[in-house]
Amino acid sequence: MKKTYYLFNPGRMSRKDNTLKFIPVDESGREGTPKYIPIEGVSDLYCFGSLDANSALYNFLGKNGISVHFFDYYEHYTGSFYPKEYLLAGKMQIEQTRYHLSAAKRLVIAKKFVQGASFNILKNLKYYQNRGRDLGYYLEKIDGLAAQIENASDIPGLMGIEGNIRQSYYGAFDHILKDHAMEGRSKQPPLNEVNALVSFGNMMCYTLCLDQIYHTQLNPTISYLHEPGYRRYSLALDIAEIFKPILVDRTIFRVLNKKEVQSKDFDIQVNKVILKESGKKAFIRAFEERLNETIKHRTLKKHVSYKHLVKLECYKLSKHILNIAPYEPFKIWW
Amino acid sequence: MYVILVYDIGERRVGKMLKLCRQYLNWIQNSVFEGEITEVKLKELLSNAKKIMKEREDSLIIFKSRNEKWLTKEVIGQEKNDLDTFL
Repeated sequence: MKKTYYLFNPGRMSRKDNTLKFIPVDESGREGTPKYIPIEGVSDLYCFGSLDANSALYNFLGKNGISVHFFDYYEHYTGSFYPKEYLLAGKMQIEQTRYHLSAAKRLVIAKKFVQGASFNILKNLKYYQNRGRDLGYYLEKIDGLAAQIENASDIPGLMGIEGNIRQSYYGAFDHILKDHAMEGRSKQPPLNEVNALVSFGNMMCYTLCLDQIYHTQLNPTISYLHEPGYRRYSLALDIAEIFKPILVDRTIFRVLNKKEVQSKDFDIQVNKVILKESGKKAFIRAFEERLNETIKHRTLKKHVSYKHLVKLECYKLSKHILNIAPYEPFKIWW
Repeated sequence: MYVILVYDIGERRVGKMLKLCRQYLNWIQNSVFEGEITEVKLKELLSNAKKIMKEREDSLIIFKSRNEKWLTKEVIGQEKNDLDTFL
């Protein structure tokens, strides 16, 4: 399987002998030993440090279908270099739009997303309930809210239910985490360590979904649950919704409870908390491990990684849109 | 599939071989590469390699392993290149 490369060190990436050459640069501007990366083994690049590159490199990356994702100093996702679409399908585009325009059809898909998300959230809580945390109150509350999804008559109503589920879910975080408190969700900027991790993790999940959509015929700008806005790939937000509890939240519980990420990995300021480089690396390492973990798929009867599950989700959605098989969201079954 | 590739090639052709292998696998030592590669990509690499080699003089050996986990790697002395994906 192709690998994702994470660039933290500042340096210069260039095309050399039809492959990638990376020269790290240290604080005083001295160049380190160059490192060659096999182009055939790269799936995408995540760019956290400052990267020097020229258009020749981007042409080369584009030809090889490698996208580059950029993040600013405050670890916000700022954008991607997205190579030319290589799986074009007019029919899919038209159908995707048609499903968006019809309020009834759109609501069907949107509900599935929320159902999938709430199911996976409940599964997370049950896991910790079985490990001696007292989460009965949250389980009941979210169960009740999840029952209302079916009755939602429009998208804003559905988003409201989704918001309430998340709010109660985040309340449960304080019982799951041993030494850290969440104290409610705060973003832009996050106000404590847990919130900083949630923001960072969600953004990683969103980027992952975007990347997987790229390898299908779906158009990432036409979404169902979220409003398709300007300048953003909202379908990635829809799909991320289902996978956030499984990929991001589980990883957060792990890194904090196992002390893989500690308070010293955060830069704590008066009104904002951001992850230091050490924290980002530790989180990404755990996240990457999770993505490459495989499970035996029940219907496909073979081992698939968590990363591949995201792509399978896109396939299921395309089948729904093309009227081949109705979409059922991914529900964790183990 | 996880492979280790080693070659012993005439001085005049060795540079070409290095450049070719860099596209597919990670360099770990002079004339030694390793990495994850698919069946098809390996065939592609080998057919390109044959074009460079003089088969009567040069040699190229590939050690195949189904998965990286069936391989223990020990480094004694200097590790010339670690294969981390964090740069």
